[in-house]
Amino acid sequence: MSTKNVIELSNLTKTYQRGNASEVKAVDDVSLKVVDGEFLTILGPSGSGKTTLLNLIGGLDKPSEGTVILDGLDISKLTESELVKVRREKVGFVFQAFNLIPTFSALENVEAPLAPTKMPKNERIERSQELLWLMGLKQRADHLPAELSAGEQQRVAIARAFANKPTVLLLDEPTGNLDTKSGKKILELCHRASKEQGQTVVAVTHATYIRRYTDCLLFMRDGKLFSQIPQEEFEEAE
Amino acid sequence: MNPITYALREIRRRRYRTAVNIAGIVIAISTLITLVMAARGWETCTTVPLNSIGTDIILYYTAPLKPSGEGCYIVNHLFSYPFNQSMLNDFESVHEVERAVPILMHRLRAMVFTGIDPSETETNAVLPSSIIEGRYLKPDDRYVAIIDKEYAALMNLTLGSTVNYAADFEVVGIVDVSATNIMKSHIYVNLQAVQEVLPEQPIGLVNMALIRTNSPDTVKQAAAVLEERWPDTRTITGSDLAETASGLIQINEETAWSISIALAVITILFTAKSQLGNVAERTREIGILKAIGWSNGNVVNQIVTESLMQGAIGGILGCILGYIFASYVLFTIGGELGGALKFVSVDPVLLGVGLVIALGSGVVAGLLASVRAARLEPVKAIRTI
Repeated sequence: MSTKNVIELSNLTKTYQRGNASEVKAVDDVSLKVVDGEFLTILGPSGSGKTTLLNLIGGLDKPSEGTVILDGLDISKLTESELVKVRREKVGFVFQAFNLIPTFSALENVEAPLAPTKMPKNERIERSQELLWLMGLKQRADHLPAELSAGEQQRVAIARAFANKPTVLLLDEPTGNLDTKSGKKILELCHRASKEQGQTVVAVTHATYIRRYTDCLLFMRDGKLFSQIPQEEFEEAE
Repeated sequence: MNPITYALREIRRRRYRTAVNIAGIVIAISTLITLVMAARGWETCTTVPLNSIGTDIILYYTAPLKPSGEGCYIVNHLFSYPFNQSMLNDFESVHEVERAVPILMHRLRAMVFTGIDPSETETNAVLPSSIIEGRYLKPDDRYVAIIDKEYAALMNLTLGSTVNYAADFEVVGIVDVSATNIMKSHIYVNLQAVQEVLPEQPIGLVNMALIRTNSPDTVKQAAAVLEERWPDTRTITGSDLAETASGLIQINEETAWSISIALAVITILFTAKSQLGNVAERTREIGILKAIGWSNGNVVNQIVTESLMQGAIGGILGCILGYIFASYVLFTIGGELGGALKFVSVDPVLLGVGLVIALGSGVVAGLLASVRAARLEPVKAIRTI
């Protein structure tokens, strides 16, 4: 495995204002390095700041303090239009709620991140078909999200995340809306695809069975990251 | 995904909202076309009959001038009371009057026989430009006539034929006189010849004057001055013709455009509000697109494409409906005012303008709505339920 740092977080803090000027630190002074090709999983309870951390890494949100260096680029200082380029070229997102476009077919959903790029249409379609095949959805390419099962929808979302060959794949509760069997299948696919395509993966989840697929496990609580995972996390989940 | 395909699917998904937007555009565009064409038809009805003979005012007497007296042949067979031709010089002394042209129009049963001064080639009951065969009258012509082409066809008359009306006249020209010509006659001859051949020989008498003013803006004033100085005279102007068609939409083109532009602005605001609602409903979807790499430009392009397509559909339907309404209005005005509108049809340029306004409304409404879409922060938009 290469030792090049793909993600470097330094003293990263995200603060939200909540009513009566009270402040909530969703991410509190987090520093972290993720090397190229690594599959990192962050476990933690709801409201611990996992999604916020993922959004900061992916350039969907801006930190209140600290820096995010993604593939050598300090994205905490970029403008919105520069962040669009980062999200388009370097990041692939998978959301808990699938977040597919309801009027797009499975194939079109996978193609969506490529639409604003200069890639020719036939190449875009070829790439999307290839990814759907990888996800075992070749026969479902023309189906709308509403015609797919939850597991199939999440597989489409994963295919979409891989479409632009991102440097980093960010999985936000990828199995949250799935049963254990489908969840494991999804993680297996993510793990296999990331290894085949050479992506660095950061996943945040409740699902402790993810440890089978991950290279590194961290725990998050109250906006802080810990390397020790409390035993009760596994006991509760399993 | 092609933006047009995406837009079509969104339009299909939001049928009700789309139908309401399109209906607004259809109403605005069809109203524009109908109002403007009604205004043009109106203008045609009120100006063409006079303009086609180069005059602004027709003047005639409503009371007998002594010694002609009521009951005489000439009064019974003329359209109005005769007056001395020399009075034309008096009419020309009015500041606003540029030229007064004599006409002696005589009717016998269904035949109209008009004496004209052939030297008047700018303002006259029939102008040289109407000649389709032969020649126009000359000042020294006596027993020659020019005749209307429909009359010629009906009577099987050609150049060289003879028409008899109190005397024999040789046909030297055939004219094509538009139905909009208020002075349309069967036979036109030299004024002096008419005065000589009619019973009682009304030498030096005419019964109408075509008045050309020095500016279109002074027509009303000239008519008022003429009626004031010669109280027994009556004048007919374009405005008077307009009054004959009561109950129709009496609107000028400027007002029609003003109303239409106001409607277009209301439509833009209405469509923009509706599109804002559309953007609000799709907040999450827009957030997802931004999260996966769509720029604000891509999102704006998509919203504007959708709005533009609604504008295009509304514009096409509005033009079709406007064409139907405008044709009906022109037909109705034409029915009330006679044949003046035979030659007015819906202007294709106006249909084009209607379509451009509809497309413009779509673009402006789309741009207004897309500002909101562009401002959406993806991280907040994705959390929207």
